[in-house]
Amino acid sequence: MFQLKISLFSQTKALENKIDLFHDKIIDVAMTFKKAITVFLREQRSDEYRKLCKQIKNIEHDADNLRRDIESKLYGNNLIPDLRADVLELVENLDSIINRFDEVAYKFYIERPEFPEEYHNRMKELCEQVSDCAENMAIASRAFFRDFSTVRDYSQKVYFIEAESDLTSGKMKEAIFDSDMPLANKLQLSGIISEVADIADIAEDCIDELLIFTIKRDI
Amino acid sequence: MDLSYFIFLSSGLFLGWSLGANDAANVFGTAVGTKMLKFKTAASIASIFIILGAVFGGAGTSRTLVELGSVNELAGAFMVALSAAFAVYWMVSAGTPVSTTQAIVGSIVGWNFYSNHQTDSGILAKIVSTWFICPILSGLIAVGLYILVKQYIKHSKTHIIRQDLYTRIGLIIVCAFGAYALGANNIANVMGVFVDASPFHEVTIGKVNFSGTQILFFIGGLAISSGVFTYSQKIIKTIGNDVMSMSPIIAWVVVVSQSLVLFLFASQGLKNLLEGNGYPSLPLVPVSSSQAVIGAVIGIGIAKGGRGIRWSLLGKVALGWVTTPIISALLCFIFLFVLENVFNLIVYH
Repeated sequence: MFQLKISLFSQTKALENKIDLFHDKIIDVAMTFKKAITVFLREQRSDEYRKLCKQIKNIEHDADNLRRDIESKLYGNNLIPDLRADVLELVENLDSIINRFDEVAYKFYIERPEFPEEYHNRMKELCEQVSDCAENMAIASRAFFRDFSTVRDYSQKVYFIEAESDLTSGKMKEAIFDSDMPLANKLQLSGIISEVADIADIAEDCIDELLIFTIKRDI
Repeated sequence: MDLSYFIFLSSGLFLGWSLGANDAANVFGTAVGTKMLKFKTAASIASIFIILGAVFGGAGTSRTLVELGSVNELAGAFMVALSAAFAVYWMVSAGTPVSTTQAIVGSIVGWNFYSNHQTDSGILAKIVSTWFICPILSGLIAVGLYILVKQYIKHSKTHIIRQDLYTRIGLIIVCAFGAYALGANNIANVMGVFVDASPFHEVTIGKVNFSGTQILFFIGGLAISSGVFTYSQKIIKTIGNDVMSMSPIIAWVVVVSQSLVLFLFASQGLKNLLEGNGYPSLPLVPVSSSQAVIGAVIGIGIAKGGRGIRWSLLGKVALGWVTTPIISALLCFIFLFVLENVFNLIVYH
């Protein structure tokens, strides 16, 4: 009986750690992505960029494993039956943000878009904003598990930064289409900018759902 | 031992079975309904503790029922229990939340009328007053607990997974406590009228002495447990979250409140302690676990701002309060007449 009790507590602790680790992965991927794009703008597809892309892929891979583990533990041990569906959806949503970071970094690697020098600062600003969005989304989600009364604070941050990223990407696209570069380049850059900005949109959608989950979590 | 005693006792066992099926759902129905506990685990714990409660804590409430009407013939006791069982069955079929206590009280009053025994109005008033005090008290306890638990969750910042573990442990403990309280409080409804005619003698097992009444209550406890295992799962599925949808933590608060109220109305030790220290105490009266649950759920609903409560159900509950004892008393009166005049059995002396 005593052993069973210890095992139950240790299993609970292990799952808590996995959920925490999963959130760490979002912050990791956001930081690495920001760094990778800065490197790309400076050096294009250099060895360092390849290394950072590989790093992002590894984070994505680890996050997938953690997600599967969390999902199977929640279902296998019949945990939090009332909130399980919400938690699973939340974990899937967070995973989709990580996947998107990976996809966009890979797109830069494959397509090798050439951003003229004058757009570099704006591009870095956009990457900063989407990374901040994802990080705040991760913090809000972490709060959902421990201190759900603060979820709303971080959600407001996500909404604010997402709106800022929309402005930044809009201004960039406007400037690109006003420039003299060939249409093919304009379309390529516009597509890439949309993909980057989409990360913030996904984070915003996740926050919308998270706020509903939070209302349901309140006893 | 006279075999006819067991034939007459069958109506009490039937009432015990229906109490197990109906009222045990109040103890662990929410825990099973919210998928926090498996039915078999909950039913096993509940059965053991119902029997323990009946054997070791059932004396106080039985005395009150005997004071209301000392049914002094076995055939009469049979019919009192059977009428109550029929009334309960009827009300359950009609989809009305029902109290076994109200049914048995109605039957006893019916027997008093039939046998020209004076019903002690003081005792009756004491019992009827608990029908109001019980849900109100349960509601008040639930509101207090709800606020405490909410504040604890807010300030402790416990991880959702750990909270789940604590809730499960809490539900197991409260399932045991609730079952004990149910056994102690409600065994009087099932076996109270058979106490006077009990043929059982004192038995010693090891160093523990069991009185004849305790053996009778043990048999009643077994009947309640059989109801728990054979039919309560169906009741849980049918009723579900009837009054308000519940989270597992709310389920825990509801069961704690209900169990505390049942315990307060059943514990001789607590009554002695309070009275010994000059505090007012509650009468030892069998109360309805269904009404305690409804009181707790409504209390929490009001604390949450009144959202999500199905107020229409309250009308049904109130209707049940009035009709159950009346139907039970009428049935008992008619059945006693049939038993005496058609079967020539003595139903009182």
